[in-house]
Amino acid sequence: MTTWVFIIGSLYLGMLAFVATRSYRSNKSAEDYLMAGSNIGVILGFLTFAATLFSTFTILGMPDFFRNHGIGAWIFLAISDGGMIFLILWFGYHLRKKVKQKGFQGVSGLLQDCYGNKLAGYVSFGGMFVFLVPYVAIQIRGIAIFLTAVFPEALPPWGWSVIIVGVMLLYSEIGGLKAIMHADAVQGLTLLIVSWIIGISCVEHFDNLKALFAEVQASNPELLSTPGPNGLFTPQFLIASFLVILCIPITQPQLAIRLVILRNLRTTHLMAVAVGIFAILVIIPTIFIGLYGAVRYPDASTPDFLSQVLLYEQPGIIAALAVVGLLAAGLSTTDSQIFAMGTELRSLLSGSEKSKLTKTKVAIVGFAAVALIFSIQASDQLALLARVSFAGTSLLAPMILSAVLIRKKLGNEIIFATALALLTFLSSLLGLIPSSVGPLRLDLFLLLVLSTFVLISNQLRR
Amino acid sequence: MSSTPKKTYWYLCVAAVVLLSVITFTPLVIPAGVYEPMLFGLPYTLWVTFLIMILFVVITYIGTRVHPGRNDEDAD
Repeated sequence: MTTWVFIIGSLYLGMLAFVATRSYRSNKSAEDYLMAGSNIGVILGFLTFAATLFSTFTILGMPDFFRNHGIGAWIFLAISDGGMIFLILWFGYHLRKKVKQKGFQGVSGLLQDCYGNKLAGYVSFGGMFVFLVPYVAIQIRGIAIFLTAVFPEALPPWGWSVIIVGVMLLYSEIGGLKAIMHADAVQGLTLLIVSWIIGISCVEHFDNLKALFAEVQASNPELLSTPGPNGLFTPQFLIASFLVILCIPITQPQLAIRLVILRNLRTTHLMAVAVGIFAILVIIPTIFIGLYGAVRYPDASTPDFLSQVLLYEQPGIIAALAVVGLLAAGLSTTDSQIFAMGTELRSLLSGSEKSKLTKTKVAIVGFAAVALIFSIQASDQLALLARVSFAGTSLLAPMILSAVLIRKKLGNEIIFATALALLTFLSSLLGLIPSSVGPLRLDLFLLLVLSTFVLISNQLRR
Repeated sequence: MSSTPKKTYWYLCVAAVVLLSVITFTPLVIPAGVYEPMLFGLPYTLWVTFLIMILFVVITYIGTRVHPGRNDEDAD
């Protein structure tokens, strides 16, 4: 397997170097560098959106989620993505319309403009930074613990993390968003192919799908229904997850930016349908892998389970593809997020384009460094940490939606309420306040209260 | 499909998505601890929500055809 890892890994790194230098040559302006020329077609658009959305969390986190908590994981992610793609039709239209009126350098800059208050941009940027950094960190963490399990003698997890961040920074800084998007396209396809090859091998172990589910039924029938053996997938958890995942294209800048830079509305709409199909195709094999693990490795640790099923049970070339595919999956999400944070910061800066671009490039290195430090400290609960990130950024949704949908001047109280909600959620994560209000989860409670408050504010100001 | 999209079709799509979303989180789709009736060996909640996900994609595709903004300048 090691030989195959070097061969496929070298090919992948060569591809990254190629797209970075090619993009570097074609980048004529800051707009080209940060927004990829804002003329992206449907195929590249869908692949980059899908690769940014589905990442290490999908191939490492979801099988483990199915293994431990059962088939409710399908509702947690697939159904939420189903709602999300329809929301893209509606939100993409209104966002692009607003961008035509106001221009676009980033969501935070757009908010500053719409609210006529710099604080709106700062609250948005602050929320994105605080809740995206853990998401970036878990991607890095996921690959690092996986690589440590594969090559235990080579490097500790932090060593792999440093290499991952270094590679990511190198091609992102050189090639800009174009390089990231082309790398995404390769990654998206690799992830899909590898997931299916491994997923099918897991089913074949039991002869067929029916036999796989029969084995799960015999060993742990609670995995076949909600809320699952650990009681995680309660209706409330699933509804809260649905709502926060629904908000991802609105509140996570790496995806909102992609909705803006697609060629036209039709491209945006077709991209949404394609992402829905991709979601079904990429999540299905994680069910097979997870339930296979539930039968064969019910008590194994996460790294042990993943390294067994993704590597040691596979032929050398498939295992190597899995290693490189995972590396690519993590890189494609982290680079997009870190780069989007840079774009967001730039939208808040003033001065010449050249100085703003220089500051943005420096800031991208800074964001990557913070994510690297956090990745060394993060836990191994990839799927749950990702959900915390989605829940945190979802609190920005009412403020962003108001800016996109409403033409009249918006109230500053929305900005303050959003900041308060973000701080409250952060306090609960730090253990300073309880994580529920009566029977309601705090994230759901905050989202409902904030949305109601913003609706009332907008109605009263009409 | 008419070249002038009718808002009614769009609102029907929105209503269908909202309805599907609400139904998904009721005991009709996620009955606690129940995995029968199975279909081709798949537990009840999984095959039902799989169908729901397919419907989401189909409705989204129909939505792209009837979206009120599809003939805006932006779509050119």
